[in-house]
Amino acid sequence: MDMLLMGLCLGVCGVVFLALAFGAAMRSESWNSDVQPELPLVKATASARFFSDRVVVPPAVPPLQVPIEVLLLQIENHVRMEQAAAESFLASPTHDLLHSKTTSPFVN
Amino acid sequence: MTHELLNGLSPVEAEQVLELGTKLIVASGTSLFRLGDPADRLFLIERGRIRLTLPMQVRGREEDIFVEERSPGQTVGWSALIPPYRFTLTATAPLFEAKVIALPQAALRQYFAANPAAGHKIALNLAVVIGHRLQLFQTMWLREMQRTVEVRSA
Repeated sequence: MDMLLMGLCLGVCGVVFLALAFGAAMRSESWNSDVQPELPLVKATASARFFSDRVVVPPAVPPLQVPIEVLLLQIENHVRMEQAAAESFLASPTHDLLHSKTTSPFVN
Repeated sequence: MTHELLNGLSPVEAEQVLELGTKLIVASGTSLFRLGDPADRLFLIERGRIRLTLPMQVRGREEDIFVEERSPGQTVGWSALIPPYRFTLTATAPLFEAKVIALPQAALRQYFAANPAAGHKIALNLAVVIGHRLQLFQTMWLREMQRTVEVRSA
């Protein structure tokens, strides 16, 4: 009789334990379903990173314009350097001197 | 002062040519001649520098762009002897005043007719000046073309 009662108690305890475990499992699923709406946000973040990694779009900054006096001076320097290079070629006409490089900012 | 245009002339011939001219002072920043003007005189530079420019559009504005600078002993304005007798550049004295000898086209022609030997020497000297300009700008043009081709085919 004692053995029967002990087995019955153990069976009831087992059922209770399984019920608690089942309840806990159900609560866990419902918690997950609560955060489910946030998934799209995570996906959106991921796709934004993807694009930002693939396409480097620099901010639209207008190119800096040097004052016109500076620009004219640069042009004059360019012409002087080109003339000097041309003079070198005419003094000693070789292929290398014809296409020699200068330090002019217009060609570098 | 020796002038490139008078190379090879005897001192008497050189003196005769110089006597045809008028000495002019070109104040700093003023023009000796401008692009398109009738070219009735050529100029031998005695002192200072003459800056030659051409107009170019820069940021929507017309600017005189530096082409070449000539120094004492050199010649400017040889368009006076080459048809259509119009200046193809603008010449100004840049920072300091310049002193030039202006040789009138008509007087030079008369002198050449009366002194063909001297006229021949001056014509050869002029050919050297013009030929050098041609070779210089031909080279500069080719260098620019080379860069254009490199940029377009890149």
